[in-house]
Amino acid sequence: MMKQIALYGKGGIGKSTTSANISAALSDMGLDILQIGCDPKRDSTRMLMQGRLIPTVMDQVRERGDRSIALEDVVFSGYGGVRCVEAGGPEPGVGCAGRGIIATFQILERLGALHGDVIVYDVLGDVVCGGFAMPMREGYAQEIYLVTSGELMSLYAANNICKAIKRLSGRSRGICRLGGVIGNGKNLDSEEELISRFAERIGSTMVQFVPRSPVVQRAELNKKTVIEFDPGSSQAGVYRHLAAKIMENTRLDIPEPLEMEDLEALAYEFITN
Amino acid sequence: MAVTDGITIIHGPDGCAHHTTSLLHALQVDHDRLFSPIILSSSLTESEIIFGGEEALGKAIRSAVARKPGLICVLTSCVSAAIGDDVQSVCNSSHCPDIIVVPTGGFLGGGFSEGVEQALLALSVLGGSGSEPDGSVTLIGEKNLEYEVDAHYRELSRLLSLLGIHIRLRFIRNVSTAALSQLGSGSLNILRDHSLEEVGESFRRRFGTPYIPSFPVGFSGTLRFLEQVGEQLGIDSRQAVKTERENQEQLIGNFRDLRGANVSFYGLSSSALPLSEELIQRFDLRPGTAGFTCSIPDPLPVGTAGLSRMLHRWRRVCRA
Repeated sequence: MMKQIALYGKGGIGKSTTSANISAALSDMGLDILQIGCDPKRDSTRMLMQGRLIPTVMDQVRERGDRSIALEDVVFSGYGGVRCVEAGGPEPGVGCAGRGIIATFQILERLGALHGDVIVYDVLGDVVCGGFAMPMREGYAQEIYLVTSGELMSLYAANNICKAIKRLSGRSRGICRLGGVIGNGKNLDSEEELISRFAERIGSTMVQFVPRSPVVQRAELNKKTVIEFDPGSSQAGVYRHLAAKIMENTRLDIPEPLEMEDLEALAYEFITN
Repeated sequence: MAVTDGITIIHGPDGCAHHTTSLLHALQVDHDRLFSPIILSSSLTESEIIFGGEEALGKAIRSAVARKPGLICVLTSCVSAAIGDDVQSVCNSSHCPDIIVVPTGGFLGGGFSEGVEQALLALSVLGGSGSEPDGSVTLIGEKNLEYEVDAHYRELSRLLSLLGIHIRLRFIRNVSTAALSQLGSGSLNILRDHSLEEVGESFRRRFGTPYIPSFPVGFSGTLRFLEQVGEQLGIDSRQAVKTERENQEQLIGNFRDLRGANVSFYGLSSSALPLSEELIQRFDLRPGTAGFTCSIPDPLPVGTAGLSRMLHRWRRVCRA
């Protein structure tokens, strides 16, 4: 059965790095992986493509119209055969990027691109409109993973996304659930404990804490995922462990978002102790 | 037709322009005319919604400019407003001097009346460059879609001529762009109805022009209208009122066959109640569920001539 997961979290928190390394690790397990970058910045799959910014679905729509797009125009083979797609979007400040995501999904459906063992949706930081909630809707990702550090604003963004998951899961045909929280460390004190406690408080669990490591930056400067750049590193081991946990995960929750005061109190507790 | 040498661009999908065009076309056919105003569409599709519709608007403006209109009006739609197209900037950079944006994104609230108000206020920027107040009258906000719009205009012209006054500008019906500069040159504005009072207030503040808030309705309302116009313009209205009163009495005499009739009013709106009471009193009508069914049109009949047309319709029903 095909597994569809989506990674959400605050902008710049490391969703694309995490997604790409999960996809790379899963492909090393012999699985057929499709990673879809759902962000106009279009850099989700770059490390899987050896630094190449692939043409986006929206680039193709802009240049030739959506009816003459073929599968090979928008799906590109990256590390380990991971099939890479970038939704793309309008130039900053114009048009409607959310509608671009919806159009991308319709085009990928029509082209029959949405298949494989695992589809990884790497989604823009904030669920600013219905378009960016598209991966959570019926027929797409059932498992949502929140990527967060221990910084308050990152936890705040994750908490906000919980509101979207709760709302969509409450619909009659809503299938999306929270698969868990991925801690992406920023070298803060007691960060792993804080993220773990946050996950418990929203009715979920932290599936993996990814510590900060210089190998991540070195890999990116070499235009590779950590899995490809330094497969023997402990960081690569962490990503492989995370990928395996996601594949084994059967716990799917409807989260209970925290009130702002409760979230602040939680963060404050860990700062002062 | 509002501005005779104008072109309207609806910045939205073709359906938005089609809806308006077909409505106007149907009305023109109903009025036995084959002339429709020029309405262009910026033809937004999903691609423009995603990538922005400003380029499509620029193209539509260039197409309109090529037709050499006196004025281009750009109306926004729900979708162009929702995606945040900077319509004003596109218009500013078009180097077309006579181009006006009317914000009409429906989801922003408001309905037909608010749209009319927005259009009148937007087009008023072309006013204020005419001569000093010259004793003439400006009609504000005639309803271009109204069946009897020109009959109302003729009645207003007749009534004002009793005071020796003429209508200089119809803001906005059957006028050229150049004529719009005369807004503010009249000595009195007469609003089509009370819904335009904010527009009347705005023009009073900007141009110093006083206003009467509605076209005249009813026998006594028409006489009072003459008195109000006289007061506003410093004209002795007694002779005009006397002449019109005699005209009304003659009209009532012409319809004496309706006197004492049993009537039932059909679909009477609250705004028509005072007029219905006046008609009951003037013709000694006996309202109830029995008798012939008569209706008071909405919009209400304007002036004595409007009442005359309505009474003719009543008589046909009464005799049927």
